[in-house]
Amino acid sequence: MAQPIISFKNVSKEYILYKNSQERFKALFRKPKNPKINKALKNVSFDIYPGEAVGIIGDNGAGKSTILKMITGVAFPQEGEVEVTGKVAALLELTAGFSMEMTGRENIYLKGYILGLNDEYIKTIEEKIIDFAQLGDYIDQPVRTYSSGMRLRLGFAININIEPDILVVDEALAVGDASFKKKCKDKINEIIKTGVTVLYVSHNENSVAEICSRAIFLKKGQLIYDGDVPTAFEKYKESKAKK
Amino acid sequence: MFQIFKEHKGFGKQIFLLAKNELIKTYKGAVIGPFWAVIKPAFTLFVYWFAFSVGIRSAGNVEVIINGEFIANFDRFIFMLVGFIPWFFISESITQGAKSIRINRQFVTKVSFPVSTIMTYTSVARLFVHLFLFVIMYVYVAFAHGVSIYNLQFFLYCPLMFAFFVALSWSTAPMSAFSADFENMIISIMSGIFWLSGIIYNSYNMEVDLLVFGKPLKPILEFAMMLNPINFFANGYRNAFLYDRWFFEYPLELIIFLVEFVLVVALGIYNYNRLRKTLPDVL
Repeated sequence: MAQPIISFKNVSKEYILYKNSQERFKALFRKPKNPKINKALKNVSFDIYPGEAVGIIGDNGAGKSTILKMITGVAFPQEGEVEVTGKVAALLELTAGFSMEMTGRENIYLKGYILGLNDEYIKTIEEKIIDFAQLGDYIDQPVRTYSSGMRLRLGFAININIEPDILVVDEALAVGDASFKKKCKDKINEIIKTGVTVLYVSHNENSVAEICSRAIFLKKGQLIYDGDVPTAFEKYKESKAKK
Repeated sequence: MFQIFKEHKGFGKQIFLLAKNELIKTYKGAVIGPFWAVIKPAFTLFVYWFAFSVGIRSAGNVEVIINGEFIANFDRFIFMLVGFIPWFFISESITQGAKSIRINRQFVTKVSFPVSTIMTYTSVARLFVHLFLFVIMYVYVAFAHGVSIYNLQFFLYCPLMFAFFVALSWSTAPMSAFSADFENMIISIMSGIFWLSGIIYNSYNMEVDLLVFGKPLKPILEFAMMLNPINFFANGYRNAFLYDRWFFEYPLELIIFLVEFVLVVALGIYNYNRLRKTLPDVL
């Protein structure tokens, strides 16, 4: 089999909870004694190969967003290794990283640089992005003048048009009005068909089954099941019933 | 180890873009926009000058004596002006640098971003303002005092000043992001540092007649002033524009500064690498 595109090896992540700001200030200079710790991930390992579509399911606080943050390079594990190869397009926080005083066009370049693209490449996708976002003349206005729907559209358009190797999608994604929502859905499906690797976060069995061939079920930071979608949801429902 | 340098590779253009953006953010919405960059320091300078010349009535001339050697008499205004120009950059880049990560938290918690470039572009923005103010200062100095070959030392002191305070923010910015108390501490200290630095007086020649344990305090105090890196730059600008002296004419001051510079860089690299990965969790 090919090299994994995403690889988690015994990844653990804990958040230190400081009692108050005094404790936090002290922690700058020496390690806190017996701090309160919230374990967000416990020894999680999995490999995802190019072209796979994997659903991630679990309750709130199960560690889904921590995993996604690590894949997008925002958070880092305390123990273990996370390896991601290729461009990641995260349809999570679409307006993240925008600079409000810059124009939409400048923000396209800014976001492009953050993703490691060069000027020439961004130039080739610039028109596609502007076209998709339906911003018209607003593209040369500062982003602070945009409505929230326009910002989301621009954020989505940038992320989806960079020709990602890995696409991270949260089902609860809000992108504005119904017609644009449909356009986004179609575009996501179109990209999925081109064979990119997809990570799909959802609570809905039908939509996961529609897109994914594999699912990872997390509970309280532990990987409970990694395999086919129906079994994953069976385990998920079982654990809910126990409560 | 060299994570900071790696993060800057290929980000030159972006740093420039974000620095520009930073300036727009600071001065946007004002009718006279960029003129505030001049008005604020000009007014501060006027207030101090006023306090000295009218209030305390001791403005007059500043008699500059270095190592017992009389250099020249300067009008208090030009003496203060040449010290103030680097001071504005220093104070702004220390306070803004310390706040920079907290202010730009979206680049830390929402996207994968070379975090150390935040401190760089924050300081680059202040550098633009500094260069602007410097040109105004230089025009005044050229008419009031004259031009000389020593002025070229600007190209030594200015980049060194930029590098020193960027490296300082490698420590202060992540620590301030981690603990708001640390940020408040920096900002409180900064308001007092001005009076402890030779901005409106000559730190080479401290006028004190006090005795400590039977020994004169003056040389001890003058040595202590050399430990303050801000004095290195305030004196440096005056060497270049007023005193007509070279930087190597003060070997002790130069060595102290270089040691401090190496220390600040090492501490910066240590603190940045230590805190970088926990920043997204605490912001």
